[in-house]
Amino acid sequence: MGIMEFRNRIAERLSSKVVPQQAVSLDEKTVLDALRVVQDPDLHKDIVTLGFVRNIKISAEAHSPEAGHKVSHEAGHKVSHEAGHQVSLEVNLTTPACPVKEQLKAQCEAALMALPGVTSTKVTMTASTRGSLPLNSGSPVAASLGQVKNIIAVASGKGGVGKSTTAVNLAWSLAKSGSKVGLLDADIYGPSIPLMTHLKDGATASGSLIEPPKVDGVKIISVGMFGQSGKATIMRGPMAAGVIKQFLSQVAWGELDYLIIDYPPGTGDIQLTISQTAPVTGAVIVTTPQEVALIDVRKAISMFETLKVPVLGVVETMSHFICDGCDKKHFIFREGGGARVAREHGVAFLGEIPMDQGLVEASDHGKPYVASHPKSPVAAAFAKVAGAVASQVSILHAENKNVLQHFSIEWAN
Amino acid sequence: MDNIRVQGITQVDPKTLGILWTDGKKSALDVVMLRRKCPCAACIDEWSHEPRLKPEDVKDTVRPVKIESVGLYALTIHFNDGHRTGIYTFKYLRDLGPLA
Ligand SMILES: Nc1ncnc2c1ncn2[C@@H]1O[C@H](COP(=O)(O)OP(=O)(O)OP(=O)(O)O)[C@@H](O)[C@H]1O
Ligand SMILES: [Mg+2]
Ligand SMILES: [Zn+2]
Repeated sequence: MGIMEFRNRIAERLSSKVVPQQAVSLDEKTVLDALRVVQDPDLHKDIVTLGFVRNIKISAEAHSPEAGHKVSHEAGHKVSHEAGHQVSLEVNLTTPACPVKEQLKAQCEAALMALPGVTSTKVTMTASTRGSLPLNSGSPVAASLGQVKNIIAVASGKGGVGKSTTAVNLAWSLAKSGSKVGLLDADIYGPSIPLMTHLKDGATASGSLIEPPKVDGVKIISVGMFGQSGKATIMRGPMAAGVIKQFLSQVAWGELDYLIIDYPPGTGDIQLTISQTAPVTGAVIVTTPQEVALIDVRKAISMFETLKVPVLGVVETMSHFICDGCDKKHFIFREGGGARVAREHGVAFLGEIPMDQGLVEASDHGKPYVASHPKSPVAAAFAKVAGAVASQVSILHAENKNVLQHFSIEWAN
Repeated sequence: MDNIRVQGITQVDPKTLGILWTDGKKSALDVVMLRRKCPCAACIDEWSHEPRLKPEDVKDTVRPVKIESVGLYALTIHFNDGHRTGIYTFKYLRDLGPLA
């Protein structure tokens, strides 16, 4: 929502009310009504209808300290001579990675301040990530994945497009926003996450399960840590499937908001096995802008559609490079290929990651780039992608509330 | 909105399929019309998008046998003339008839 549109809505609301300026009756209902102008741009509903507003407290603010009332805690707060009210409340979003958190906060504050009698506000933004996996207790992965809210597949039709780089930096970006994140390297043919994250600790036993080691708060397990990892590349069909099933069911992930799975490249049996063993919430398809890669995006999207796994969207990597000399974007390939395939398939375009030699070095040195260069344009691009992914997951849960997922009806003749 | 999906599917009467969309709107679609508008490659030329199926090729007595979801965005209809290759995306269905 544009800021002008927002101002107009507040103005409209105020003028439609016949409240005399002095007669202040400030209660929870008035506060909630005022907040209905604040819309969640992803869920297309206002934050009150969505049930985001909690813990409303209205307290009188003293005109002077000796009045004995509660004094506003805000340092430097202008104490007015008229008695006013402080409204404090909590807005509980659907993900800590919400890309419009600050915008929503500012809109809430403005809407509250526009209420007669309100002299200060205290809006606290919190989040509880929505989601739960559709697992029944008998499921072989129930012990391992039972407390995981969302599983996000990071996949591609073609190898070498930057899937693992995206998976790692996506995991780190989500964790940075305050989410509980796990990263599972399922690339049985070339597990690369341990190197990319400088994973030194091995997994430890925890009862019959395996406890994943943590790096910067992200829990990590790689298929490379299981069995004879050196031979992974020569593993064939049933054996590879066995290993996948085993490590999906044996890791003590504990409570997670997001478990990111780095898929092996392509759309073969092993990708099917992973998607059929783990109840994947949604898939992120990674591509480069070249036409050949885009053709494989279509294959990846239709694989997930066949599996009934929603496609959260497409990320384009190595899109362009930002020149040191002029700071302009230079497109090596045709611009906008990723956005175009996304549009053609009716899925979201989640963002583009610039080409940056630093990413290659970061992988080689085992430090995710968003951690070593938090202020870089690349880190900003990954943060944007992480926000878009989290938004798509929230949208999915909101939509699924009343969506008929799978149906079959016999026609009565 | 691109991501409109289905909330409910019903047989309204012997020849009408009812769809309740997630935005609360409703479609009532004639099943004979649906057979005539089958989007499969045998019924519509993939390249020219010209219909290959002539309206008179489809009898007015054609009826569905079964209707099933396909993935998250489409459904398929098994007709009693044996035809069952059409995948009707929700987007396509939404544009096929007036909304109520
Ligand atoms: N945005 C980028 N800019 C420059 N180099 C990149 C970028 N993203 C990834 N790379 C580099 O491209 C190579 C392939 O990346 P990565 O290993 O992430 O791809 P992948 O899709 O996981 O490959 P595989 O199919 O082998 O698993 C790596 O050397 C990586 O450092
Ligand atoms: Mg990889
Ligand atoms: Zn047909």
